[in-house]
Order: sequence, then structure tokens, then C-alpha cells
Amino acid sequence: MSTSADLTLEHDGDALVARLRGEVDMTNASFIREELTSSVPNDASALVIDLSDTLYVDSAAIEVLFELSRRLGRRRQDLRLVVPAASPLRRLLTLTDVGAVAPMHESLAEALEGP
Amino acid sequence: MELRSSDGELHIRLRQQAAVAQLGRRALAGADIDALMQEAVQMVATELGAPFVSLVECSEVGDAYVQRAGAGLPVRDDEPFVPRGTEGQTGFTLQAGESVIVADLEEEQRFRPSRRLSALGARSSVSVPIGSRERPFGVLGASSLRAAGFSPDDANFLQGVAHTLGAAIERARSETDLLEEQRRLEEALGHASESEARFRELADSAPVLIWTADADGMVDFINRGWLEFTGRTLEEETGDTWALGVHSDDAEAVGTSWWRAFRRQVPWEHEYRLRRSDGEYRWIVDRGVPRFAGETLVGWVGSATDIHERKEMEEKLTVAAARDHEVAETLQRSLLPEKLPRIDGVQLQARYLPAAQGTKIGGDWYDVMELDDGRVAVVVGDVVGHGLRAATVMGQLRNAFRAYALVETSPASTLARLNRLLSKDDRDVMATALYLIFDRDTGVVVFSSAGHPPALVVTREGPHFLEGGRSVPLGIADPSTYRDETAVIESGSTVLLYTDGLVERRDTPLESRLAQLATVAGVADGELGDVCDQVLQGVLGGLRPSDDVALLAVRPEPVAPGTLTMCLPADPSALAALRRRIGHFLKAAGASEQERFEITLTASEAAMNAIEHAYGPGDAEFELEAGVVGTLVTITIHDKGRWRERRGSERGRGLSIIEAMMDEVEVTPGPRGTSVRMRRRLGSASQPTAGLASPDAGSLGAERA
Repeated sequence: MSTSADLTLEHDGDALVARLRGEVDMTNASFIREELTSSVPNDASALVIDLSDTLYVDSAAIEVLFELSRRLGRRRQDLRLVVPAASPLRRLLTLTDVGAVAPMHESLAEALEGP
Repeated sequence: MELRSSDGELHIRLRQQAAVAQLGRRALAGADIDALMQEAVQMVATELGAPFVSLVECSEVGDAYVQRAGAGLPVRDDEPFVPRGTEGQTGFTLQAGESVIVADLEEEQRFRPSRRLSALGARSSVSVPIGSRERPFGVLGASSLRAAGFSPDDANFLQGVAHTLGAAIERARSETDLLEEQRRLEEALGHASESEARFRELADSAPVLIWTADADGMVDFINRGWLEFTGRTLEEETGDTWALGVHSDDAEAVGTSWWRAFRRQVPWEHEYRLRRSDGEYRWIVDRGVPRFAGETLVGWVGSATDIHERKEMEEKLTVAAARDHEVAETLQRSLLPEKLPRIDGVQLQARYLPAAQGTKIGGDWYDVMELDDGRVAVVVGDVVGHGLRAATVMGQLRNAFRAYALVETSPASTLARLNRLLSKDDRDVMATALYLIFDRDTGVVVFSSAGHPPALVVTREGPHFLEGGRSVPLGIADPSTYRDETAVIESGSTVLLYTDGLVERRDTPLESRLAQLATVAGVADGELGDVCDQVLQGVLGGLRPSDDVALLAVRPEPVAPGTLTMCLPADPSALAALRRRIGHFLKAAGASEQERFEITLTASEAAMNAIEHAYGPGDAEFELEAGVVGTLVTITIHDKGRWRERRGSERGRGLSIIEAMMDEVEVTPGPRGTSVRMRRRLGSASQPTAGLASPDAGSLGAERA
């Protein structure tokens, strides 16, 4: 038994949308971080991470979000999250202040509209 | 398994080869000839499925042959004789000097079939001579109740048995001859009145090689047989130069052993290679005994005999046995799990008994693994056939199973994929398998069988087989339909999976063997390993099985309602399993999705601390206990390390999360590890406290060493 996540990337306008399905914990967090940081083109305006089908994240995943936000920020690129209102992840992301550096949106459409 | 196909044939041939090799080893081990003959006829009866087998010696006893051993045809004390002469099958076979196959005894024209066999209902037979054409010993024959019961392959097998017996008999004969010869010589020499001329006459007429030596160990006489053998003169062979004919690889050992025996004045025996007149080195066994006049050594008398054929057979058998054994062992190791996995909440034990015929590595296999959804996969299988091919297929099957089981969600769909694999490319391979997926939390087991005998479940009420879900073996047809069946296994019950070597025997119907298994398992008690041993002992009666036997026992541990205990390796890969189990536990306790996520997260974060604190890599473990009383959930994680804060940028964040998500957190450092106890009441969403944004803050920080 192992932790498994599935990451799909697609461009929408000048934003890169990353759909993350499954679970992220300390065993695969660094892999996800490498995939994401190497996938965002310099000319993209934002990275939107869609957590609608993400079942589990832990402190290692939270750390990845913080780091992504720092890196993108240096390049003046936005990091936005899609977290449906009913997602159990929402409270964790609020408590850990991820929401402060990566605004949470309830849907992908809303996230793509921008801040 | 008895399935007739070309692979079934291969299986039978390999088994027969192994049986002949086994007989050869018994012969080499010096088994008594009568015992060996009886073993041989029993083996022939088993391997050929022949109800009547007999071994007849054609010695000069009046006008009849003598039956020496029989299966289904006991040797009759009152009348052990078989009529002489070529009109019967025995005489005909001796005269033919090769195997004789009779497809239908009623149609036989070449000789008159045995009336005794006809009266017993025999319809076809096969017979082969034992011993060389020049020195025949007798005939080995088998009969069947069916017409055309024997193939040329069967005749070859029978001839192999006869050759092995012939070599053993020849060896025993030459030893008897030698002993007889020496006894006569000693007798002759013992009589002071015997003249030297009389002795030499006696010695020269003897069919063995004879020598004498004086009190100084110098050879002073060599008989004619010896001189003819070596092609050398009497002068060359006497004194201490006789050893010149000994093979250079053996010379030193021969000299050492001879002079040691000489000094101690004790009988001497040595096997070595001696150069024959044609230049070929032949193995001989040479023996000498000291002669005394009163207390004084007066000389030695010795004799030797050619044992070359026997030595060659020994060497071949030794090499073959070593090779077979090595291959079999290597395969076996690679095919069965070295150690069953440790899976929380389930006890597991396995036993594997190789078949009585040592080299017969079978295609039996079993495996246990934890699936991603937290259920436990248990499989037992058996590839039809034996030997390298069956073992190779089994290895592929096992690997394929491990891959398919992870992606397929049901036993039937997994078996269907394995069937597709085996049916591909006309591989002509068959296997049976029984696959169970067991849910520890609910006790539900889903299973599917591809022609495999059913699992036995022993509950408090007694034993019963898990019926249903049966379909054809893998590799017979594609597509084949496999079915899932569902049952519930109570905790504390024992589930036994096994291969047909445990329950299949030629002489007993399968149903009664299954009933016996159920009876034995029903009364077995104690630890799971003891249960396995009692079952094997009870069913096999302490005998080595004639086919491989794999037995896998699974016992779900009784779980007190509302508690969960796990012991996990201190490795990040354990986290997924931990979350799955806690998720199930919390669901059963009535936790909401939000609560399940948050409590699982805190348990996982605490476990990450335990993992990082483990004393380096290796087999370090940590324990987790979860309990619910009313709506109060308590989770305790106990590690064997010291409580230290986590390193790097994640420092403290996990702890902050734990504190925010749980109502109460208590860290108890101790000399043998640290316990973290966390509590949360369900249904009253734990309210986040301020200050979480600063990961280093929080009351826990002060407790950390």
C-alpha cells in the first residue's frame, strides 16, 4: 500500500491549471513540488492548483504550497487554489494560513477569473 | 494435479525420472536388495497407475521362475513360482532382451499370457528384462485393467527402473562372489596341508583378481585373472611395483591406506582405478586380510573386483542429484515469499512440504499482500506439472498476480487477467488458483477459485468449506468466466488455503480426503502455527506427501469493538496504511468526513514524528492505538525514540496542526520511548486557536526536549 497522487497539467489562457487527485504526504510531496515548479512557464500569469479531487494533504504538502508561493511570487506569478466549500481540506488550509499566500476559490472558473 | 495434457504428460515424465533417481540413491545408500525390489514395484504401481506389478527372478530353481516382489500380486509363500519357458511373458521378455508392450492380452499371439493375471482382469501389460543380456537376472512387469494401458514412454520408465535394479543386484552379486571367494581362499590357506600349488590352482581358476603379500607387505603372488586384466608380467606385478598400474589421482590414497592397514595388521579395502591391458582405467574394489600363524603375521591375501559400471552409475547419480537439488532449491527460494508480511489484525502462517521424491520441485505457490484499500489479498496456486518449466511459470504467475491484484478490484477480475496471460501464445500451461480478499474491518471476504480446492474455515461452531465462486483452471480457455463469491469470516476463525497435494491421493476419493481435512482442522487448536502442524500431521499422518503441499493459514484477530491497535515499521511508507485503517475505524465510530480527515491527519503527523525519531533505519517500529468511548476518540502513538522536534522548514508545523485539530494533546517522554496521546470529541468541531500561523509557538514547543 502506498500513497498515490495523479497530477494533470493543462493551459488555460495564460494560466497553468494543475489538477491534483489523490493524496499528498511526506512520501510524494517533493515529487509534486518538482513537477509543478518545472512545469510553470516563465510567461504564465498564474498557477492554479485544483484540489477538488484531493483527498488528503499533510504538513509536507502545506510546505510545498508555501514554497511554490514564494517561488512564483519572485516571478510575479500568482498561486491560486481551487478548494470546494465542502472540502475537508479547507479548514486545514485556513488554519495554516496557506489561504493568505494562495487565495482559495470554490471553483476552477472562479479561480481562472483571477483575484 | 492429474490433468491430461501435454503438460500433464511432462509432469508425469518428470516425476518418473525423479522416482528412478530416488531409487538409484536408495540403491547407492546400500539398501537391502529385497527391500529395494519391493520399493521398486510399489513405485512402478504408483507412477504407472498399474494395479499389478511383479518382479520375477529367473534363477535356476527347478522348472519355474521365482517371484521376488509384487504390488497387487503378493508373493505367495506356498507358490512363489512362475512357469519357465518362452511361452509365457516372463520368458519371452528375457529372450527378447528388451521391453515388451502388450496392448491387449486377449489378442496376444507371441506368447501365452499369465492365467493368474487374466483371472484378475488384466487387459494390457508391459515388461522389461533386468540385468544384462549376458547375465540376465529377471523380469519386471506391470499390468493394467484397461486395454492399451501402457505407452512406449511407460516402457522406457520401466526399463529405467530395471536398469537401476540391475546395477544394484549386480553390485550385490559381485560382493557376494568376492566374499565367497575370499572365504574359500582363507580356508585353503588356513589348512597347513594345502600346498602352494593347490592354492595357486584355486586362485587361478577364480573369477576375481587375487594377490598375496608377504609379512613385509611385498606382493609375492598374483593370479592369472589379475595378469590378464593388467596385461603385465608376474615380475612387474610383484614386490612393491604393483601400484604402478594405479591411476595417478588415486595412487597416493591407495598407498596411504594400504600401509596404514599393513602397520595395524587389520583388513584393508580401497576403491581405485587400475590400468587395464587396453589402456583404460577401470574402477576396482581391492580388499586384503592379514594372515597369522598364532600371533605372528605371516602374510596377506587379497582380492579385487571390477566395479566400473557401478562407479559410473554412482557418479552420474551424484552429479544429477546435486544438480537437481540445487535447481530445485534455488527455484523454491525465489518462488515462495521468504517471510510472510506482517499485517496488523491478521495472523498468518504458511507451511511448504516438498514432495517425498526430493527433486520434484512443484508449481505450488502462495502469497499475501496488503492492498491499497486496506484489504488483505491472500492467494494460493498450483501450476500443473513439475520441474523447471512449472517453476518458471509459477514465478511469472506470482509476479503477474502481484501487479494485477493492485489494479484490479476483485478476485474474479484478477483471475481473468491471469488467465489471459496464461492463455496467450499457446503456452499450453495450466494452473489453479484461489484468491481471497479479506476486509479486516468488516470480516467480509470476497473470493474466486480457478479450479482450486476450496478454502476451509474453522469457526467456533466447527469447520466448513467456502463453497462457490468456482470456475475452470487458468490457461484452459480464453475467455473464461471467473466469479466472485462473498462470505463473512468471524474474527478468531481460522481460514486454511492449501494445494491439492494435501488432499489428493490416488487411492482415496477427493471427498473423503476433504472430509478428513475438515475433521482434523476442526479439532486442531492453539497458536496458528501449531494448527498448521496439527493439520499436516493429521492429514498426512507424518508421511512425506507424494506431491508438494502448500498450506496457508489466516486468522483474523479478535478486535475489541471500538479499538484499533497497529504496530508499524518506522518508515514513511507505513503512513498510507495507517491512514486507511484509521479512516475505517473512524467511519465505524461515526465520525464525519471532516472529522475523519482531521483526526487521520493528526495521527499521521504524530506518526511522522515517530518515524523521524526512530533510531536510524532498520526494523524500528512504532505503535498506534485508537479507541472511542461514546463520542470521545483517543489516539495514542508510542515510539521507541526520544521526542525531538522535526528538522528543516517543516519544523513545528505538524505539531501546530495536531494541537489545532485535537481537543487535547499530551506528550509523555519516557526512557523507552515517547507517547503522544490525542483526544477529540466527535460532533463538536474543534475550534482553531489563535497563533497557529506561527509554527514555532504553542505549548507543545516547551515540552520538546
